[in-house]
Amino acid sequence: MKDRPEIKEIMDIALRTGKILLTSGAEIYRVEDTIARVCDSYGVKCENFVLPTGIFVSIKMANGDSVSEIMRIRGRNVNLHKIELVNTFSRRLREEPLPYETANKILSEIENTPQFKMHIRILAAGVWAFVFTLLFRGTFSEGLVAAIIGMLVYLIKSKISEIGFYEFLEFCVSGMNTALMSLLAVKLFPQMNVYKIIIGAIVIFAPGVAITNSINDALRGDIVSSLAGMGETVLVVTALGLGVGIALIAGL
Amino acid sequence: MGVIDVLQLIMAFVGSVCAGILFNVRKEKLFWTGLSGALGWLSYSLFHTATGTVIIPIFMGAVAVGLYSESAARLLKTPVTVFSISGIFPLVPGVTAYTAIQFLVENRLEEAAGKIVETLGSAFAIAFGLMLITGIFRFASRLREQKKA
Repeated sequence: MKDRPEIKEIMDIALRTGKILLTSGAEIYRVEDTIARVCDSYGVKCENFVLPTGIFVSIKMANGDSVSEIMRIRGRNVNLHKIELVNTFSRRLREEPLPYETANKILSEIENTPQFKMHIRILAAGVWAFVFTLLFRGTFSEGLVAAIIGMLVYLIKSKISEIGFYEFLEFCVSGMNTALMSLLAVKLFPQMNVYKIIIGAIVIFAPGVAITNSINDALRGDIVSSLAGMGETVLVVTALGLGVGIALIAGL
Repeated sequence: MGVIDVLQLIMAFVGSVCAGILFNVRKEKLFWTGLSGALGWLSYSLFHTATGTVIIPIFMGAVAVGLYSESAARLLKTPVTVFSISGIFPLVPGVTAYTAIQFLVENRLEEAAGKIVETLGSAFAIAFGLMLITGIFRFASRLREQKKA
């Protein structure tokens, strides 16, 4: 039978693993699966319940006592590399239950994996906006303008995020920025179509991951999380649309 | 297939690579995420030109992305989402969703309703396309396990 500290350590590893997954934009079922698998690798049975904003894990011990912990999750983004690393980690645990210190060290490494540098991400945002403008039948010059606007808006949004602001207001401000800059661009180059530029530049913020994850969760029977994901999608899209709407009305 | 189609494929490729960068996919795998997007777009545009509709081509695009992602995930030992999330991005109805809200803001409610339905339809088409393939792949691997046992 396992003694208490060890159970606590398993709990700690399970919660940290779940936290990394959830804050990196993994689907809810993947988070629940992985937590169960981590506990299973250490030979304990656990029940866990994951929401987009929190993790609940309860481990039942052989003597009938149970240990439960709750973790509140704040601030989520998308980082597929971390999901991949956690996946490898949980597979490794299955093969050999790592000691607490080693597991913790690996988890810290995963938490601190670097992102792409800011200028590369901004460039990617620009190219993305350019490509989408062309995919949706914009002209080459409209694509270029959308790229510049997309980069600027992405930069501004990241700066606001660093300071810390309400997420939906960030999207609203980004929508507003995009529309204002696009209106300005059309004032300078009257032959361009303002809608194509706005759509091309704003597609960077489209909540594609949220909606795909939420429908995946729905199809697997996790109704609560899928509704939360759909709610998030609707709120983000509304915030973007509202921002653009305000700017367009102001620009008339 | 005309020249424009090839250009669009390249753009879908580049777009998915950029999505991969913003979602922090590891450098060595960016090429493969780009390929995922290009294949999805190829399937989408083939069915789009053939049928002239939107939802079914998006479904077929998602099926292509799913097939590719499941295979690539097995070959490269990477979670499927790395390829599927970046790959479906050219198909995700972000633009439609945005247009719907735009119509709402401008009080064009009937057009908005149409766009909202199109958004939901496209989103579900993507999810069902991916799910279908995931389901088939899982079923196949379970069959294989049972035969071994």
